[in-house]
Amino acid sequence: MSNTINLTLHIWRQKNLNDKGRFEVYKAADIDTDMSFLEMLDVVNERLTKEGKEPIAFDHDCREGICGMCAGVVNGRPHGHLPQTTLCQLHLRHFKDNETIVIEPLRSKAFPVVKDLVVDRSAFDRIIASGGFISVKTGAAPEAHTVPIRRENAELAMDAAACIGCGACVAACPNASAMLFVGAKVSHIKLLPQGQIEAQERVRKMVAQMDKEGFGNCSNAYACEAACPKGISVSTIARMNKEYFAAKLTE
Amino acid sequence: MVCPFLCAQSSIQKKQITAVTGLFLILFVLGHLAGNLFIYLGHEAFNGYAQKLAGLRPGLYLVETVLLLIFLIHLYLTALLVWENRQARPVAYRQWQMIGEHSIASRLMPWTGTVIIAFVVWHLRDFTFADGDGPRSILSDGQSYGLYGVVYNAFADPWHSALYILAMAALGFHLSHGIQSFAQTLGFYHPRYTPLIRKMSNGLGLLIALAYSSIPAAVALGCLAVR
Repeated sequence: MSNTINLTLHIWRQKNLNDKGRFEVYKAADIDTDMSFLEMLDVVNERLTKEGKEPIAFDHDCREGICGMCAGVVNGRPHGHLPQTTLCQLHLRHFKDNETIVIEPLRSKAFPVVKDLVVDRSAFDRIIASGGFISVKTGAAPEAHTVPIRRENAELAMDAAACIGCGACVAACPNASAMLFVGAKVSHIKLLPQGQIEAQERVRKMVAQMDKEGFGNCSNAYACEAACPKGISVSTIARMNKEYFAAKLTE
Repeated sequence: MVCPFLCAQSSIQKKQITAVTGLFLILFVLGHLAGNLFIYLGHEAFNGYAQKLAGLRPGLYLVETVLLLIFLIHLYLTALLVWENRQARPVAYRQWQMIGEHSIASRLMPWTGTVIIAFVVWHLRDFTFADGDGPRSILSDGQSYGLYGVVYNAFADPWHSALYILAMAALGFHLSHGIQSFAQTLGFYHPRYTPLIRKMSNGLGLLIALAYSSIPAAVALGCLAVR
């Protein structure tokens, strides 16, 4: 049996990059509580389209919490208030009837708002392109067990690799810093044998690109860790800091 | 020359230089505290310690210059980092929830830091450059008790004490975030020890604030009166 609720939505509307943007109020009536947050926005958009109004633009893709496309700040928290949950996996049963919800885009100089709730996160792509990879010679794939990996490192690398690059860490950070993202990427490659060769060059280049994109500096508030839908630990930032220190010493 | 060099450093290097200079400042705070606690051994011990320290000049000038330089680098870099952080989010959130284990102390760092700067200036005028044999050193029995007397008379004024304790609270809060930040920024993380470091950081911050504040409290309670 499903219940329905009524919601009042304060949503950020912005026509394009140059528009100043403003909040607009929408009613979402008789919403099924089994719906996800994005499905609720779909319902609102259908109504807006029928009324001949511009629907609310928001990013989404897989809607099962693994792609990293959806993101929005709901009532002051990236991806809403549930721990380790992406916005698409946040269901309306976690909201109360007649609740007012404020929905904003991820706010950072490095993530310009393209339209409404859609932000341009290509700064992350440029950080990855600067060093978030390993170089391998092409040819037949080697036998899987030729390179032994410590179980502990395999686990830690996998934990860091869980990062979906959604940008919630940047949105949650009081300084709009991207260090949890970069820390996760540096960690997951560095922890594996294949990542050792370019380790120092990688961390130098990725940090340089991160700084160039205009992200803020980490002030160890650990808000990123609390907001991350994948539970990435700030230990990845510590690892990046250590790697960077070592890389600069031997430069 | 120093400023453009510091400016040119990457985000992580700026943080790491801040952390290392911060460590030296913490060591100074602890050393200073150890000296202050001589006050509980009576005016001879306290003034004796102060005179011994003054006797170390001119070597002490060198130490003071280095300390001042460290203080200024710490200050300049943190101001730079704060300025950059403000730039990183040009449009503020309408609604914002503070999450994360160290959010409050972290966000208050620039403010507690500013209080500490103001305090240092006041404190230098108040005690460091005070006339140890002047009228401020004379206690109720009409005799001069040197620096001991100056400290006693200063803390006999409740407003003076309150201001001092407030500054020490800011210092304690600043250090409670700073000490654990030092480990994180230089890249030390351990699943078992990091939670301990965070607890120790809070504990040490509180302890330092309490230990410094104990002196005006002791004056107020009459424990340090000269008989």
